[in-house]
Amino acid sequence: MPSIIFKDTKKNIELLSKKAPVGYAIDADVKPGVTEAYVTFDKKVFPYRLRISGIDEYKEGSSAVEKKKAGLMTILAVQSVESIDPVPVSQFRKGKKKLGEFKDFEEVELPRIQVVEKAAYLDALSHDVKEILAIAGKKKIELSISLAEQLAKYKKSLSQKQFDELMGRVGRDLESKRIDPFEAVGIIAAQSIGEPGTQMTMRTFHFAGVREMNVTLGLPRLIEIVDARRIPSTPSMTVYLKHEFENSEDVVMNVVKELENTTVIDVADIVTDITQMLLTIKPDHAKMSERLVNQSDLLDALAKMKGITVISDPDSKDIAVKPQQESFKRLYQVQEQLKILTIKGVPGIKRAIARIDPATQSWILYTQGSNLKEVLEIDEVDANRTFTNDIIEIAQVLGIEAARNAIYEESLRTLSEQGLEVDQRHLMLVADMMTFGGTVRAVGRQGISGRKSSVLARAAFEITTKHLLRAGLLGEVDPLTGVAENIIVGQPITLGTGAVNLVYRAFTK
Amino acid sequence: MTGGISKRIYRIQFALLSPEEIRKMSQVKVITADTYDDDGYPIERGLMDLHMGVIEPGLKCATCGGKVDECPGHFGNIELAMPVVHVGFIKEIKTLLDSTCKSCGRIKLTEDEVKSYSEKFSQYSFSSSDPEIIGLMSKKVTDEASTRMVCPHCGAQQIKIILDKPTTFREEGIKVTPKEIRERLERIPDDDLQFFGLNHEVARPEWMVLTVLPVPPINVRPSITLETGERSEDDLTHKLVDIIRISQRLRESRDNGSPQLIIEDLWDLLQFHVTTYFDNQTAGIPPARHRSGRALKTLVQRLKGKEGRFRSNLSGKRVNFSARTVISPEPFLSINEVGVPEKAARELTVPVTVNIFNIDHVREVVARGPEPRDEFGKYLAGVNYIIRPDGRRIKLTAQNAEENAKRVEPGWIVERQLTEGDIVLFNRQPSLHRMSMMGHTVRILSGQTFRFNLAVCTPYNADFDGDEMNLHIVQKEEARAEARIIMKVQEQIMSPRFGGPIIGGIHDHITAMFLLTHGNPLFPEAQTVHMLSYLKLNRMPPVEVVGGKKFYRGRDIFSLILPEGLNLKFPSKLCSSAKEKCDFEIEPIDKDVYIINGKMTHGTIDEAAVGSFSGEIIDKIFRKYGSEEAAQFIDRMTRLGVAFISGRGFSTGINDYDIPESAIARIEEISQQAIDRTDKLVETYRAGQLQPAPGRSVEDTLEIEILSTTGSVRDESGKIASAFLGLSNPSVIMARSGARAKMLNISEVAGMVGQQSVRGGRLNRGYYGRTLPHFKTEDIGAMARGFVKSSYKEGLNPLEYFMHSIGGREGLVDIAVRTSRSGYMQRRLINAFEDLKVDDSLRVQDTVGAVIQFKYGEDGVDPTRSDKGETVDVDYLAFDLENEEVQ
Repeated sequence: MPSIIFKDTKKNIELLSKKAPVGYAIDADVKPGVTEAYVTFDKKVFPYRLRISGIDEYKEGSSAVEKKKAGLMTILAVQSVESIDPVPVSQFRKGKKKLGEFKDFEEVELPRIQVVEKAAYLDALSHDVKEILAIAGKKKIELSISLAEQLAKYKKSLSQKQFDELMGRVGRDLESKRIDPFEAVGIIAAQSIGEPGTQMTMRTFHFAGVREMNVTLGLPRLIEIVDARRIPSTPSMTVYLKHEFENSEDVVMNVVKELENTTVIDVADIVTDITQMLLTIKPDHAKMSERLVNQSDLLDALAKMKGITVISDPDSKDIAVKPQQESFKRLYQVQEQLKILTIKGVPGIKRAIARIDPATQSWILYTQGSNLKEVLEIDEVDANRTFTNDIIEIAQVLGIEAARNAIYEESLRTLSEQGLEVDQRHLMLVADMMTFGGTVRAVGRQGISGRKSSVLARAAFEITTKHLLRAGLLGEVDPLTGVAENIIVGQPITLGTGAVNLVYRAFTK
Repeated sequence: MTGGISKRIYRIQFALLSPEEIRKMSQVKVITADTYDDDGYPIERGLMDLHMGVIEPGLKCATCGGKVDECPGHFGNIELAMPVVHVGFIKEIKTLLDSTCKSCGRIKLTEDEVKSYSEKFSQYSFSSSDPEIIGLMSKKVTDEASTRMVCPHCGAQQIKIILDKPTTFREEGIKVTPKEIRERLERIPDDDLQFFGLNHEVARPEWMVLTVLPVPPINVRPSITLETGERSEDDLTHKLVDIIRISQRLRESRDNGSPQLIIEDLWDLLQFHVTTYFDNQTAGIPPARHRSGRALKTLVQRLKGKEGRFRSNLSGKRVNFSARTVISPEPFLSINEVGVPEKAARELTVPVTVNIFNIDHVREVVARGPEPRDEFGKYLAGVNYIIRPDGRRIKLTAQNAEENAKRVEPGWIVERQLTEGDIVLFNRQPSLHRMSMMGHTVRILSGQTFRFNLAVCTPYNADFDGDEMNLHIVQKEEARAEARIIMKVQEQIMSPRFGGPIIGGIHDHITAMFLLTHGNPLFPEAQTVHMLSYLKLNRMPPVEVVGGKKFYRGRDIFSLILPEGLNLKFPSKLCSSAKEKCDFEIEPIDKDVYIINGKMTHGTIDEAAVGSFSGEIIDKIFRKYGSEEAAQFIDRMTRLGVAFISGRGFSTGINDYDIPESAIARIEEISQQAIDRTDKLVETYRAGQLQPAPGRSVEDTLEIEILSTTGSVRDESGKIASAFLGLSNPSVIMARSGARAKMLNISEVAGMVGQQSVRGGRLNRGYYGRTLPHFKTEDIGAMARGFVKSSYKEGLNPLEYFMHSIGGREGLVDIAVRTSRSGYMQRRLINAFEDLKVDDSLRVQDTVGAVIQFKYGEDGVDPTRSDKGETVDVDYLAFDLENEEVQ
């Protein structure tokens, strides 16, 4: 579905949103069929969307709002003006390509994540499974689909009587396995994760399948996850390609090239000549070929840099760079800027390594450094499978539910990599507890523990005096509902058997 | 506490103490800086005034008339000559002064702003909202107000106030006295206080400047009498002495008109003393010290940190009715039991409330006295104390026992000594999970140690190299019921961590089961009977007659302890890596253990069947037959194991690692090859011809290559060595059955120790360019970097021994660092998650009722009861069903 994008003034948009629905006269020719328009003020992000119900030719003297005084061509029937999460210009596509130069008006496509309605999951199930679920429903057994699928295997091999008995047993088993009300699941989860911590290795670095890559594992990684560290000590991504590309080595190598962030200093030496006020870039060809960079990439990158004159000599590979403003300070600045000038690649990705996954025989890329947002925008990348070990980044890019899953997956991976069995339910609880507030909160005084409702519980954990003094000023009331505070005052806690009150009334005559 | 009705505290309100309140709760105005007179009697209106409580037996509290343990203590007060600021509130005072007008006292916001902000603030209740949010809101408001240099209300010009840490305020270099600060704070109207996060119902800002100081009760700061008869005062008392002295001097100087300079000096000194009285670690102030040079422990220090009041006395409390001693093993006890030494049992008591049903029995027990024994000299439980309904305790002696027995009436409490069958809690620290404290029933044993079944070592993580454990006697009926129903060892067989058994056979139990069942050997009748005599069984396995003599099959003997109707099939640990046929079994079918209707027909019992963490049989018995049956199986299995292995004998020695000369030569050869290959790699590297691996430096590549060379040579030597060490070798039996050690350890003894490492790389530190002076600098060959080509059996040469020690040291450091790091992580985890509970509709909630999960674990299944994490093991249920039908 085509959309249009154009630059406008804030004043116009405010006027539109006040008057909508209204006609809006603009200075461009719009093809029919357009239903949305995105508006930018700064040519970078598009914070407004106009819903368009019709397009008309502009005639002088119509009652429409006018974008500007002259050159008006079309009237858009604006249904409504919506303020949206700003869409960056890079999201728009012209044909199949990214939008290159954006002037004031463009007819574009905005590819969205396609939500394909799968046939309802239940319909997709086999006949047997459906039947089993129906019977279970009648018998009031809370059977999950996966269990029904497992049961279906025995539908044929067992007699009807046996099968009924089996189903009965599954039902009884489920019943008996249900968690007891008021169980202290939090403490159990904390113990179950904490206890094997003593058995984990401390060794920070380990090879994760790829020899060239170091990834933090073991106890330090677990602590890192639980701490919700802003940046993990070894950020890394696992990048999958779309199925049509994942077996083609050429595409893979191209993606590697596109991923790896190569700066000038990575492939060349920079020599400063103070007398000439000149910087000479001496490319190292071995490094360049290793990084898949050629001379023209280098020149392209230099061309984008402002405030310098590039003097390239066709006879020599060396490139001379001269600051336009002649001063030592400027010379130094330019030198520093040159060093970190990105020739190509995604910022933050230091290395990318491609490996064939032995299980599926297809290519997987592993990166050192992480930049989820930009990597997902690469066309060949399969956004559904690609992930990073930076949980906070996942929360920012994909949202809190994704972060919750990331915490769960990462902690599960860290523990099972060490050969430690920990029930998934504990890890789920940790992940849910860390994220249920909508942001990723750390376990510890900065996060969950610092936000407890009880003064005494907070005081007993860390920074005792601060909490007590603060409580006095606010006149806080400790409701004594948690565990720590009730232990402090010497009362039964409110979990498990302490959560229920039984009163015995003796018989009276 | 005999009534059984206890009150419950429902909430605690925090507030600031106002001067009026301090005076109101004060029982005495302390004016003398002295404590006791020459006779050792508390001086009136001194710091040890009897109105503030008593600590000496014999004296009575002047306020409540209570004696030492009866009087809770009462506050006194000190009137300070001049006001001083409270260190804990310095930051708040600063923002208050910054954001309010110095002349009219209003917050420096326009009326409109005040209106809009107070609307925002009114949405939050100060007493119950998150203090962080209020803090953030008030910061925003006060930041805005503090930048205004003209008061919007009265138009007065404002002067910037600078805080000269820790407690001095200056205005354009001139000191603002606490007195003036107090006056300014007084001017702030109640309505403006909300913007500072102050609840005007409980806190007025001027209360942060102290004019009167509460003196804590004597119970809080008891003086101690040394052996020499000398009195030694508590740190707080010392500090209070200082405060009173200086306050008095300040008052005198002020009243007789001393120069301003002297008054100011004394005022500052008073401020110092009051500051250190609160917090002796205030930044910017030298800590007040004791005469000996030790820094005083004042109020904040008493509360803070691991040894502080909160963590050391409130979150964890010392208890009576507990015991601690060394532990040792006792294979003839059930896993549910604990052996308690007589000496401990005589001290530990259970309170028995006398009623009409038990009075005859109780009288009988009381009459026995404090140290009864039966006719054979065996321990009998006696009574130590009798408690009368009025709370008086009567100590029972052999002399007064008979007489007291008659006096016992319903309603009295008798403290009966521990007896067999009592339920107690047994604990080993560190208590990392709930299985670190379990309920045991008591067995009274002679000796000095606590004893228990070896299968219980795993949950406690105990060994017997000097470990000590704690025992607690539960004192109430409710507690005993919970201990029996919830905490008893047999109820804790399943670990909530992974939903499998954590209690099971260890070491010899596994070896024994392996030897008993591997290859299904025949045992002569005598041996079989001996074995079975350890078990309380009334049946024998089917007999097999060979050459006229009676024999019994190992698997049949094992089957005796299995519950009837058990159906099971699983791969043994021995054959866990085998696909079709297992190398260690003759028949392919023996790859898996088959148990049909409680009879074991194929396979080998080893760690996978009966071990802790993995024991498949224990797991299935627990699920199908319950905890009682599972405990019985473990009891019988361990007993059978001990019976069998102590009869058969089992040991390993150095000659078990003998391998033929040819094999030794072969190992020597490959290790030399590895050294040569390393040298060659180094040569290539030196020549600059080594191709770096992608993304790695040449040096890294070299190290990786060398590591993989030396690593593979160790594996290879292990293979060569273990080719000569078959399943007849005791060490191999232990390794293969999972009883102890791994094959790797055996190959280290018989084959080669291999490359030593620090931080995942070869050893490289020490001297300049070399690890030891025995090598040339820059020698990066195999031997110079910690390659140990000898085996343990052969012995390490001094250089290798040294290298090996380096690697060993890293392991030790690692453990030390790890325990503290993971300990802290667990503390944080527990603290963050302790309040979560499942409600009656399977939702997970926290204390304020926020829902964390709508169905616990997405399926509402207790991980303890799950099938190794799975909701239901349908395959097993089907297998079980099919086999039941067959019979």
